[in-house]
Amino acid sequence: MAKKKLTYLMLASAVLLLLSSAVGSTRAALTYYSENYVAKITVSQIGVSLLENGEIVSSRDYNKNEWKVNTNKGAGSTSGELLSNMLGQEEKLALNKKYDEKLTVKNSGSIDEYVRVRIYRYWMKNGQKVTTLSPDMIDLNLVNTDQWIKNPNNTAECVELFYKGILPTGKETKPFADTIRIDGKLASEAAIETNGDTIKTVYKYDGVEFHVDVEVDAVQTHNAQDAMKSAWGVDASGLGIL
Amino acid sequence: MKKGAGRKIIFAMSAAALCMAGALTIEHASAYFTTYVSAGGSQTVHLGSQTTIHEELSRMTKHVSIKNTSQINDCFVRVKVFAGKDVDVVCKDKSESGRLWTYSRQDDYWYYSPILPAGESTEILDVEVSPQEELDRDSFNVVVIQECTPVIYDEAGNPSADWNTVYADYQETAGVQGEEADR
Repeated sequence: MAKKKLTYLMLASAVLLLLSSAVGSTRAALTYYSENYVAKITVSQIGVSLLENGEIVSSRDYNKNEWKVNTNKGAGSTSGELLSNMLGQEEKLALNKKYDEKLTVKNSGSIDEYVRVRIYRYWMKNGQKVTTLSPDMIDLNLVNTDQWIKNPNNTAECVELFYKGILPTGKETKPFADTIRIDGKLASEAAIETNGDTIKTVYKYDGVEFHVDVEVDAVQTHNAQDAMKSAWGVDASGLGIL
Repeated sequence: MKKGAGRKIIFAMSAAALCMAGALTIEHASAYFTTYVSAGGSQTVHLGSQTTIHEELSRMTKHVSIKNTSQINDCFVRVKVFAGKDVDVVCKDKSESGRLWTYSRQDDYWYYSPILPAGESTEILDVEVSPQEELDRDSFNVVVIQECTPVIYDEAGNPSADWNTVYADYQETAGVQGEEADR
């Protein structure tokens, strides 16, 4: 008997909840017909682009219910290529020389956003990381340090920068780097080999590759504190980037 | 029995209806708009230089040139002439401008001022040898040595030569990784 009562009670509750939702719809319908206006709906579309020396290297924008990804490596690639125009044709890399490497971020979406970049610098040779060379010898000159706030827990290999303040739609940040230089100390370790009238200088780090990888993350400005905590795991107000 | 089964079905359907109706009232789960991009790049650092000396002898004159045999790297070169005290030596720049080889009184080297690109040779430096009369002309030595140094650059990209660099010698540890490198 009690079970029967419970059954009727649940059924009645379900009917009531369904009816109440129907009432809401009816009210909306009446409002619609009582006024005559045109509504423009803007869907929140977030997007971000990384630029190298003024050229877009990689972008990822939400548009018409799908992600539009464009990179300078062409269709099918999800990651762009940096340093591809660092040297001219037949030009050889010169130690100590400063090369242009102006890196900026653009808000290519339709909502304002907060931005973070992560820069990885490391050495490779024959497909393996070279851990005996310091990443600091890859001298990516960081600039506008009052606008790009460093994470205090940065390491030599990974530098994390937060753009202070909101990056409005369509706007580009000040550069976070402007030049890159390979330290001449790289050539300090060498052996001189003499064979007859031939003198050969053999360098320890001949053929080593330097790598620079950049990741850019963007997050909405609504509930920014929570959004950054959730997406990036950082206390935004503590870092002073809000 | 049939009546009991029917009640169970009604009970289950009512519970399901309540759950579904209740679900309508649940707020949308919290989510944040985020996006990201990434890019990476690399360049190879080519180090190392290799030079050879070329000498041709004619009428007591050595015609000296240095070749940069490296495939990749440019360098600067210099030469020095050693001879006994009974031998007079005069060096002459035989380049078209006559200004490519420069003598330094400080260290007795002849410096070739332009960068010597990979695979190319210097202009000729003539070493005229004049043994004094009392010397046995069939047996004496005049030695020419050559050295090279890599082209180094300043931040503006201006090239220069550093002849004072003392390279730190190293031991090859290629293929040894991590902790093994310490053994």
